[in-house]
Amino acid sequence: MSADEFDPAIERLFARAPAFADSAQFEAGVAAKLSKTSRFRTVALSGAGLIGGVIAVREVLNVNFNFTESSASASTGSQPVAQGLSMAGVDGAQAVQSLLDRLGLSGFDMSSMGGMQLFWATAGVLVALLAAGVVKLSQEI
Amino acid sequence: MAKPLRDLHDVELAALSAAGGRREFGELVRRHSSAVRGLLRRMGAQPALADDVAQDAFLLAFEKCAEFRGEGTFGAWIKRIAARIYLKRRSKDARYVAEVENDEVAPNVDSAGRMDLDEAMKGLTEPERLCVSLCHGAGLSHPEIAAAINLPLGTVKSHVKRGLDKLRARLQSEPVAHGSASHVG
Repeated sequence: MSADEFDPAIERLFARAPAFADSAQFEAGVAAKLSKTSRFRTVALSGAGLIGGVIAVREVLNVNFNFTESSASASTGSQPVAQGLSMAGVDGAQAVQSLLDRLGLSGFDMSSMGGMQLFWATAGVLVALLAAGVVKLSQEI
Repeated sequence: MAKPLRDLHDVELAALSAAGGRREFGELVRRHSSAVRGLLRRMGAQPALADDVAQDAFLLAFEKCAEFRGEGTFGAWIKRIAARIYLKRRSKDARYVAEVENDEVAPNVDSAGRMDLDEAMKGLTEPERLCVSLCHGAGLSHPEIAAAINLPLGTVKSHVKRGLDKLRARLQSEPVAHGSASHVG
């Protein structure tokens, strides 16, 4: 074999992969690490989404409530807005209560909570559901 | 009806992996893990470190699968990733940049006096081994190797040439068992 022929021969030798007895173990190790990374990402995304969502909802509500409070003295026309928010909270709470009933958590009675507590609990659940949906979607895309 | 994973081309598997397909990426790992692990050992990594680096390389490849466009082979792509991760780890020690020539190791031969590539590689000095592996195993060009391991281009060329000369001397006279893969524990 001449020197000129040697390089391709070496490349062929390098291209031939050795067989490892523990290949399956190695592949399982990679799969486990991938799952671990994915779980960590899911938790991080869920946490970030939840926190961000709660902050966003809170900010939006603050703006509305401040508007309601400041305009309440000027006009009684804001009363329907506050009533609407309260009704939305009650409707949401009823939906959550029915969900809890379906999950076998009917013992958790939401009707004993105050109007604002109900609203916040509902908003929190909705934000959590939204965050879970976004995480699921991000994994599928 | 979807094709079985083993019937899919690497490029198709990489595209599906880029979309988050872990089963498809598992097939790529199955196909290429031995080559990557073998390359890292030939570069001089101890088995445990080689496997650790190979795992990191596959995890990084999964993250970057969208960047693989099928311009080269997936095998070459993942080998380059693994080689660069290994070099990064080694650069922390900065041992390989030293120009100190290692003592040559006596080659192990089997009962028939045959020597395979892995055994022949053991007879190279550490820089020669690294340069030859990067050149012929990972497919890096001489300038790329020089940049990756922080050595002058001329030195890299010398290491490759000397390494190949030694390999030739060791392999030429010995019958290499073509077509049969060597088993590594």
